[in-house]
Amino acid sequence: MSKLGLALFALFIAGTPAQAQKFPTATEIVEKSQQAFYYPGADMRAKVTMELITETGQKRTRVLTMLRKNDPKSKDQEYFLYFHEPGDVRRTVFLVRKYPEKDDDRWIFIPAVNMVQRVAAKDSRLSFVGSDFTYEDVSGRDLSADTHTLLREERLGNADCYVIQSMPKSTADYTKKLRWIDKKNFLPLKEEYYDAQNELFRVFTADKIEEVATGKGRSYPTITKRTMKNVKSGHRTEVIYTSVAYEVGLDDSIFTERSLRNPPRDLVQ
Amino acid sequence: MTYSVPPPRNPAISTLGRLRPLFLVPSGAVTLLLLGWMTLPAFASDFSLHGFVESAGGIRVVDNPSQSKDATLGEGRLQLELSYDGPKGSRLFLKADAIGDGVKEKGEVDLREVYLSLSPFKLLDVRVGRQILTWGTGDLIFVNDLFPKDFVSFFIGRSLDYLKVGSDAVKFSLFPEPFSLDLVAIPHFTSSKVPTGERLSTFDPFTNRITARHRKLTTRRPAASFENTELALRLYRTFGSYEAALYGFRGSFKEPVGTDPVKQKLFFPELSVYGFSVQGPLLRGVASAEFGYSDSREDRSGRDPFVENSSLKYLLGYEEQPWADFTVRAQYFLEQMLDFHAYQTSLPAGAPKRNELRQVLFLRLTQLLRYQTVELSLVSFYSPSDEDGYLNPQGSYKITDSLSIALGANFFLGRKDSTPFGQLDKNDNLYIRLRYSF
Repeated sequence: MSKLGLALFALFIAGTPAQAQKFPTATEIVEKSQQAFYYPGADMRAKVTMELITETGQKRTRVLTMLRKNDPKSKDQEYFLYFHEPGDVRRTVFLVRKYPEKDDDRWIFIPAVNMVQRVAAKDSRLSFVGSDFTYEDVSGRDLSADTHTLLREERLGNADCYVIQSMPKSTADYTKKLRWIDKKNFLPLKEEYYDAQNELFRVFTADKIEEVATGKGRSYPTITKRTMKNVKSGHRTEVIYTSVAYEVGLDDSIFTERSLRNPPRDLVQ
Repeated sequence: MTYSVPPPRNPAISTLGRLRPLFLVPSGAVTLLLLGWMTLPAFASDFSLHGFVESAGGIRVVDNPSQSKDATLGEGRLQLELSYDGPKGSRLFLKADAIGDGVKEKGEVDLREVYLSLSPFKLLDVRVGRQILTWGTGDLIFVNDLFPKDFVSFFIGRSLDYLKVGSDAVKFSLFPEPFSLDLVAIPHFTSSKVPTGERLSTFDPFTNRITARHRKLTTRRPAASFENTELALRLYRTFGSYEAALYGFRGSFKEPVGTDPVKQKLFFPELSVYGFSVQGPLLRGVASAEFGYSDSREDRSGRDPFVENSSLKYLLGYEEQPWADFTVRAQYFLEQMLDFHAYQTSLPAGAPKRNELRQVLFLRLTQLLRYQTVELSLVSFYSPSDEDGYLNPQGSYKITDSLSIALGANFFLGRKDSTPFGQLDKNDNLYIRLRYSF
């Protein structure tokens, strides 16, 4: 059965749409949350500053421009990540074609030798540029890779939240994930990752949320400051999004080898 | 390293200094372009200056009677990278190194890249000037990439940034969907840098033994004439997750695989190459295949013993990440010499004989540790046909965002003096590099 068919079926058995909204299933909540977190707008541009901070306070900084475009016909996405800092990776570009249900296609451009290289990307749970975030944390995880359960509803700070438990169906770097999803905007406000010993090892927090207007009469609530902390090692990564823009009108040609070698400068300033 | 495309009877190097005059095809046209570009209104303009200072040292760890120095690397280097982003996606880019070379005992300036990039039309990019050109699917093995490389830098432990040498070229990139086309014209020949006996001892085809002490092989470069303008072409497109490319090249060998016994010089014979490549996901990783037919135009019959024969080259590659931050890349390279019978019958007495088939196995292992600040890697080549090989273990650590250190070694293995890695056998070295980027 198609996804649409499934959705219609779910609506049918749940009764009226109003009732469906009143009692969303855990999977529906996670799907809405992914939509709010990873898919807002047809495309997006942001300057991303990541600070990797060791338990002793030593800092490393990554600054990059992220361009993202959704495939209008599927859940596929394209990401263009251009590095400004540090110096040894300046002008390096990652191009990622993300498919929720299969391995990503990934390319890297290495400026010193002017080389575009295809890279193997089996495991999206790998660290993103040495930070506490994984590729999946940056660009999302397949909805059907976990079994989702709505544990309870509770307040976190000033927000009413759904608390969802997600258990991976096949081996992942976590064995259990708990997330607090804001009932209003469906953004994850907090996430806890548990390891094989069922001990907490990573905590995600949304530290600042801003409404970003598209200029087309819409606005999207956006997490502009977030932290991922490894509570076992004490290492953490703080990420700040600036110059966030939606509905930029990114052309498909941006997500090609041409732009890897010759990035669109008006977009990656 | 295409040290899979090893100088057959020997390697050698161009005697040309690092500071070449920048030769731009129709220089008048370039001047016009530059003037036109500079007079455009400068909105969205942006100027940037970056670079690094680096100190590097390396030492031979085996006794080598043909070399007067044990140091293989000893230099301080300042690199400056200037970039000016002009209007309409244009860019003026300059990268130059000032080097104090303790092994050569002199100072040098190396103008690595200086070019102007333009996007005059939606479907066209143009880059004019000295630029680094790279394409193809190989990792250190090049089939259709006929652009100059610096094997000496690689073998003495300079950073991978120095693997490629800039070409003085005009590159047109066209993007008529769904294809893309790169067309490169190189009016001014630039050779690869290969061992000449000066810093690394190597096989001397004039004596059929390893270069003697103080011996430096010299080369004769193709004249800078219109008909010697090199042309390189790549037509490529994607099919879903898969990529395919066709390649064409007309120019000269980048390694001096021609021997002039009368003038005692090596030279760069005329060469055309036609090939293709495909790559995409396979099993748990990414696989690639590349083919090239090398047409050695100065020895089509294969009977000239002083010029490399034509050949067919096949390269298969596979990469995957079996666990976190660990990458394995394996390659198999096969080179088949054409007209092998003619080669055999014309080979002068005493000259080392090559095999018809040259096979090379390549394995690269890379492990990142400590939030990707530590990188341990091993690059290895082994050729069962030449019975030689090469190992490059390296460890590097990013002490801070701007300060990094790398330690490594180059080991050459081989039974014979004439094989690509065997000839370098007495050049095993250890190296260290410390770099501060800004």
